[in-house]
Amino acid sequence: MGRILIVDDTMFMRTLLKNILFSGGHDIVGEAADGAEAVAKYQELKPDLVTMDIVMPKVNGIEALKAIRATDPSAKVIMCTAVGQEQMVKLAVKSGAKGYIVKPFQAPKVLEEVKNVLSA
Amino acid sequence: MKMVPAKVEHEGRWVPTKVGIAEDRFRIEAPVDREIPYRSVVDLEEKKNQIIVAVGGDGETVYQIASVEKVLTVLKKFIITQASAYRLNAFFMSPAIRGGVLIQDARWEKGAIAVMKTGIWFVSQEKQVCIPLDEVASIELTSREIQGKDLDVVKIDHLVENEVVTSFVLCPLTTLQVLYNFLKEATSDTEVSEDLDPMTGQVAMLVYSGMDSSAIENMLKLSHRDLDTIYDKLISTGMAEVLYVRKEVQLTPKGVRYISESLKSPME
Repeated sequence: MGRILIVDDTMFMRTLLKNILFSGGHDIVGEAADGAEAVAKYQELKPDLVTMDIVMPKVNGIEALKAIRATDPSAKVIMCTAVGQEQMVKLAVKSGAKGYIVKPFQAPKVLEEVKNVLSA
Repeated sequence: MKMVPAKVEHEGRWVPTKVGIAEDRFRIEAPVDREIPYRSVVDLEEKKNQIIVAVGGDGETVYQIASVEKVLTVLKKFIITQASAYRLNAFFMSPAIRGGVLIQDARWEKGAIAVMKTGIWFVSQEKQVCIPLDEVASIELTSREIQGKDLDVVKIDHLVENEVVTSFVLCPLTTLQVLYNFLKEATSDTEVSEDLDPMTGQVAMLVYSGMDSSAIENMLKLSHRDLDTIYDKLISTGMAEVLYVRKEVQLTPKGVRYISESLKSPME
């Protein structure tokens, strides 16, 4: 079970992910609504894993991922993309993302992906 | 013709028999005693350890054949590649996304696609994948980056044991358009024409994600009655179906007595 930081600009998606991850026995140590807040919260909370939305205001998910990996190369980040944004995945791979979730998602598969990334 | 043991459904029961498989036809021995050219097959469905073959002609005849996987795999391959169906050579990736999670080792496979009456079949050297048309959730003509180029693909979302799976088909644009139109037509009864209000949309999204009623009530701060009203909207538009009805109960005097007595200390 891991300590997880959820990053998404919509409260609905954060709440949904929080419920799914909590039901899988994970601790939600924090939430962030944009990339800049995500980077700050990562430094403060040092979570085991981050779920990171890609399209967000201010600093987007890819930039936040790069910033987090620059300070902690072992950071485990799962990117969340909307359907039709799968091309962003390649960019995320280059930037060090460990997993990918496409919205809309189903709880069991999200938990499986989180487990895989945490145990990798 | 190579004969292999199998069972066929005959007059309402499963009967042991032999099935012969040749290059252009197969044969079911007694009691069916029929030779069937693959080109006369109009539909193929699969269930666990069995296939259902519909043969056209004067009147459609359906044969249900059960056998070991190896035999069914060979038979399916001959049927899919020769049956009376809309067929095209294509690359496919199935599954590419499962439950919203990208499958990291998913790759494009070269093969054939056959669109039959009840399903789409993808066949390659290694795989035989069937997507029943009544399990198709959406079809979209979209583009995807393949080897550095943005290429047009057909994206098919379908249900596999209640999981939403996404598959992609890649072929020349003109063929792709034909395939897309055909699939759109074949799945037109699940076309969404209704527009949901934001709250109902959010509830639908949560159901999709696997949340149960109590989680949805908590997340959206809805009462049980409000959620039931929203469920009724989803059911009436054909977007949802009742899985089970949850009960709310209150204790009878007998139940109250049981609880009261169970809480008495042993000293009383």
